[in-house]
Amino acid sequence: MKKVIHYINQFFAGIGGEDKADHQPEIREGSVGPGMALNEALKDAKVTHTVVCGDNTMGTDTEKATATILEFLKDKEFDIFIAGPAFQAGRYGVACGTICKAVKEEFGVPVLTSMHEENPGVEMFKSEMPIFIGGPSATSMRKNVADIAAYANKLLAGEDTGPADEEGYFPRGIRHQVWLKEPVTAADRGVDMLIKKLKGEPFETELPISARDMIPIAPPIKDLSKAKIALVTSGGIVPVDNPDRIQSASATRWGRYRIDHMDRLKSGEFKTIHAGFDPAAADADPNVILPLDVMQEFVKEGKIGSLHPYFYSTVGTGTTQREAARMGREIYEHLKEDQVDGVLLVST
Amino acid sequence: MQLKIGNFYVKDIVFGEKLSFADGVLTINKEEAIAFILEDEHITECDIVIARPGEKKRIVPVKEAVEARVRLDGESLFPGVTGDLRMCGSGTIHALKNMSILGVGKHWGSFGDGLVDMWGEGQKYTLFGSLINLCLVIDTDEEFEQREQQKKNRAIRWAVHRFAEYVGKVVAELEPEDSETYELPPVTKRSEEVNKLPSVVLVMQPQSQMEEMGYNDLLYGWDLNHFVPTFMHPNEVLDGGIISGSFMPSSSKWSTYDFQNFPTIKSLYREHGKSLNFLGIIMSNLNVSLEQKQRSAIFVAQIAKSLGADGAIVTEEGYGNPDADYILCLVALEDVGVKTVGISNECTGRDGASQPLVTLDVKANALVSTGNVSEMIELEPADEVIGELQALARDGLSGGWPDDDELGPSVREDGSIIMENNAMFCGDMIAGWSTKTMKEF
Repeated sequence: MKKVIHYINQFFAGIGGEDKADHQPEIREGSVGPGMALNEALKDAKVTHTVVCGDNTMGTDTEKATATILEFLKDKEFDIFIAGPAFQAGRYGVACGTICKAVKEEFGVPVLTSMHEENPGVEMFKSEMPIFIGGPSATSMRKNVADIAAYANKLLAGEDTGPADEEGYFPRGIRHQVWLKEPVTAADRGVDMLIKKLKGEPFETELPISARDMIPIAPPIKDLSKAKIALVTSGGIVPVDNPDRIQSASATRWGRYRIDHMDRLKSGEFKTIHAGFDPAAADADPNVILPLDVMQEFVKEGKIGSLHPYFYSTVGTGTTQREAARMGREIYEHLKEDQVDGVLLVST
Repeated sequence: MQLKIGNFYVKDIVFGEKLSFADGVLTINKEEAIAFILEDEHITECDIVIARPGEKKRIVPVKEAVEARVRLDGESLFPGVTGDLRMCGSGTIHALKNMSILGVGKHWGSFGDGLVDMWGEGQKYTLFGSLINLCLVIDTDEEFEQREQQKKNRAIRWAVHRFAEYVGKVVAELEPEDSETYELPPVTKRSEEVNKLPSVVLVMQPQSQMEEMGYNDLLYGWDLNHFVPTFMHPNEVLDGGIISGSFMPSSSKWSTYDFQNFPTIKSLYREHGKSLNFLGIIMSNLNVSLEQKQRSAIFVAQIAKSLGADGAIVTEEGYGNPDADYILCLVALEDVGVKTVGISNECTGRDGASQPLVTLDVKANALVSTGNVSEMIELEPADEVIGELQALARDGLSGGWPDDDELGPSVREDGSIIMENNAMFCGDMIAGWSTKTMKEF
């Protein structure tokens, strides 16, 4: 028998409404409120414990409430963590997302929840976990609980799960290949789609591209002679001992190295670890990839105001866009803190 | 232009005394066949191995696939490659179906080479897992590229094309089981009923990104890197006017077998005169620099517009950098009022979370997805490897690796493998075979 821990708010625990929203976190044995319906829908599993917390407590004192709940769970055995359903209740939805994310990160178990599409928790957390598409209010409780349980049953039995639209959760931005149940060839799908498009009939693209995927180009720097410029490269230039152990392909790590005391990168002190090109030229003169020599001349000439004292480096070959975006965000925090105005991003 | 293809369905291939075809069984005299292949002085060793669906055989590194055929007028199958130039697209062909001829390295693999499994879990990843394959396992004297990740593989590729003619001749005098006819009248000479239907072109972007000659797809023997788009009859493609190259990661590749049987051409033919008027093909290419990409997109859009196309299907032989050519072409067509559908694979990473194409545009609003190049695949050992299994790990095949911190090597000691879909031979079946799609999870 697999074990499930369930999270609900003060309202669904029957403690009270808005006046009890600052209820402190507690853990009870067995199922409470919606947990009973969940128990019925689970096949070879049961709700062993229920965590209850007031929506205000979770919303305003998030860190402390989360830490308390994680402490409750520390000595418990459980296979899956389920929160809600939260319907259209905004604070409850955010609370479900917050605690699910924390439990996933701390204990590495699958986490599931359910919300209505207009719940702000959906946008905030849909890439982190399956959030099942729920109704606006508790009248859809039975169905929403059943959807979560059906998926949980598959996970617990080690069965394959289907794509988001079949299982009924919000897509997480994760795309994988699947074989169509009714095998229609790409050729026939393409011709059929074109005929529909030409007739003005509705059609469904297999790769939706939304305007939000576009990143606009930044406006130009008005006066370079006053600007602080940083050097960032995906060309794999690192100190020869590669102290941050950045991978030569499919990188997940980046490093930053001090350069304000040198006029150029010296061969023998720096090299490239990039596996996607012949390293001979870059090892002989690392400045061909990270042009510190030219940038220092520009500083002396007054062409640029100053150079940020570190350069940042990773490897671009085989590196996925998601990892690249994460590393970019992390590097950006440093650049922002040091009030860098512009970045020379050197790819290879 | 009328092309008639008579089909002979192969039930089995066996070795025997005489090259012959009877009752669905193709018999090959192995010694004679090997002697024919060894006529090329650059081929130092050759073996021929038969791989049938269901047999626990793994074939790697696979470089090329061709369908065995014969032209009844005695002309070569691949003008500009195996024979003199002639205009492709009309006449009668006899073709051996349910089988292909595969060019396999005896040792050395390269970036664009792939793997075929004939049984079990791995079989579904390629079209060739369900065909009877005559594998030409070859070593050559091309030592200059033996240790290069990029190989032209010229001797092996040419051997396969020549051997397709050698085998095809066996059915020249026989009566086919059934036949298909492909015919499109000139664009301005079609009936009123057909002209009333929406006009459609197919835009093909074969692989041509290597600046050095010898790696790219060839059109009538001409390297498509030195090329601007032109208008072609679909029959020219079906009749050997274009052959595959040796560069693109394997799952994104179009083999010569794909060109000879291009499913998207056949689907458009099926709808011709019913729901659309299939004008023909705008043959484009894939390029390296932005200006080259833009130039090709301009040519495609202009030709489509001048022909009066209402719609276009655009399809690319590749992923990554070529996505830029693909999206640019779709957008250029939409901008001149031609409604588009794209057919391509995606690269969303092993975790599926990465941007699917290198460039995106909201105007590309009707796309067919045929697979994810970076999907992880683990497969059990084979009873027999045709070629050399280590090539997958050692030789820089796009979906294999010598070692990895977390995953270990692609080829394990017990013969089981872990790889990316990238190295499945023509695995994303972008020519139109694919019954895979991409779904959100």
